[in-house]
Amino acid sequence: MEQIYVEKTASRGIAVARVYKHQEPEWTPDQHMITAAQMEEELGKFRQARENVMQELSALASENEIFAAHLEIAGDFALQEGIEAKIAGEQKNAQLAVHEVVEEFAAIFEAMDDAYMKERGADIKDIGKRLMEKLKGIQRQDLGMLREAVIVAAKDLYPSDTVKLSPEFVKGIITEEGGVTSHVSIIAKSMNIPTLVGVKGILNKLEDGMLVCMDAGKGIIVTEPEEEVQQEYLAKKQAYEEERARLRRLRELQAVTKEGKRISLCVNVGNAEDIRHALDMKIDGVGLFRSEFLYMENSHFPTEEEQFQVYKEAAELCPQELTIRTLDIGGDKELSYFTFEKEENPFLGWRAIRISLDMKEMFKEQLRAILRASAFGHVRIMFPMIISPEELKAAKAIAAECKTELAQEGKAFDPDIELGMMMETPASVLLAEEFAKEADFFSIGTNDLTQYLLAVDRGNKKIADRYDYFHPAVVKAIGEIIRAGHQEGIKVGMCGEMAGDSRATELLLELGLDEFSMSAGSIDDIRAEILKEQA
Amino acid sequence: MVSQKVIITNPSGLHARPASVLAQAAGKCGSDVLLLYGEKQIQAKSILNIMAAAIKSGSEVEIRCSGETEEEDLKKIVALIESGLGE
Repeated sequence: MEQIYVEKTASRGIAVARVYKHQEPEWTPDQHMITAAQMEEELGKFRQARENVMQELSALASENEIFAAHLEIAGDFALQEGIEAKIAGEQKNAQLAVHEVVEEFAAIFEAMDDAYMKERGADIKDIGKRLMEKLKGIQRQDLGMLREAVIVAAKDLYPSDTVKLSPEFVKGIITEEGGVTSHVSIIAKSMNIPTLVGVKGILNKLEDGMLVCMDAGKGIIVTEPEEEVQQEYLAKKQAYEEERARLRRLRELQAVTKEGKRISLCVNVGNAEDIRHALDMKIDGVGLFRSEFLYMENSHFPTEEEQFQVYKEAAELCPQELTIRTLDIGGDKELSYFTFEKEENPFLGWRAIRISLDMKEMFKEQLRAILRASAFGHVRIMFPMIISPEELKAAKAIAAECKTELAQEGKAFDPDIELGMMMETPASVLLAEEFAKEADFFSIGTNDLTQYLLAVDRGNKKIADRYDYFHPAVVKAIGEIIRAGHQEGIKVGMCGEMAGDSRATELLLELGLDEFSMSAGSIDDIRAEILKEQA
Repeated sequence: MVSQKVIITNPSGLHARPASVLAQAAGKCGSDVLLLYGEKQIQAKSILNIMAAAIKSGSEVEIRCSGETEEEDLKKIVALIESGLGE
């Protein structure tokens, strides 16, 4: 038995379960050279792997165009010829030959100017991984396939991993990397999965199937607990759940401050499933619908129709308020089907509204889909990362263009749809008064606002202690945004982590915040905090 | 060996889709089909080679066929490129 103390809690709760290690496979090829006598065997291995990959892709190709294109590349003559020449002519083993040829081709495409052709480099690499899996006998790990209760331990979890998590089977998460505002933390919190992040070296201490107790709120991990410790944790888990039950009973009350101001309690979600899960908590709406998940989980830019179906379902589930943030990609969020150029400073680079305004046709598909969904509920559109009134006006003009088109096509939408913006850049704070005249609402994104105001990278572990939304500069900025918004009579909400932090609630109420939007897991706590003021 | 020069008219050059049509057609030819583009010699049977050559719209490409069916293959490939490769 060993007790490990951890500083960073991403999502509270207690778990007792066996460990499941989620590891990115080792893709490095064997380096050895082969003899002439082994040549036929290596060629055979490659041909068998190629055959298997093509079968696998044929099955996927009927459902998806991307895999149809992959199938064509996997069967390509030059790819095959190149690999076989390395095996037969250069005495390289099959793994090394595949690796080298795939890298050579990928490099050619990645060096092209054309964004579309650059993407083909990723396609070739993906096919290379498939071939390598077959050659190395690697089984793909898929967290969506888990069918028993486990604590997932990983170096880090990527958005594509976390979207597949099911709270039914994943009882806890421990990662070596990542901070409390990283992607995995946000997802885990919304699903109420106890999670500890940034636990250095933990993978060396855990083994698959090892029994572990964890108290994420206190930051304690106990490996191979003795019987009585295990009992103690099970009891703590029960007590914790009873407290949650008490908070649940408060759901029958409205969130009203001691001054009698009705506060809007909303959730941040990534899909309709998250909304369904949050409805139990008696929410006042969705303060942030992260539309990027729709793009990240897809194999292509989702079409207007595909997006419309998703937004319509969300609008119907949540008729009081559904705030959809337009695509916020770039920074740390990437797309499998679109290659972003490597940037020195991705958080200061081509992301969010900058991409949308540059890729107008794609942006219009999204805006048209949101507008059409607005016929089915109270939908609001929110633009991310705005730094100048010109940008906001440009985005609004494109929305107006979409409205005109839809009206001509006879398609229904809400003509008075509110168009608001995220307040997350220092520029937006300094120009808040001007923005308040243009925007129908504000929503403060404290994660980026803190990072940009303090010049502290929120993903950098070395300076994590300097990332602090209680810093006077951040608090002053929030007060300024609320004041500027109220001066023009618009509602000011917050959808960053700070809105779900009960230590900040009193302060935010004093500053006059109208709407708190957070992951579903924090709603009960924040409601209790607002109601506590009354007593 | 026979050869003929053609101009690529596809608006985005030999992008994925036209490259795929060309590679499939070349794959069915009995002779070896090469594209000569500037300094490059491209195996027309390979969609990867065609795409990697990044042949732009309006460029001149020489088609070279060698093998038993070279005459009819050349005609077929030239006609296909001139028809816009399915675009």
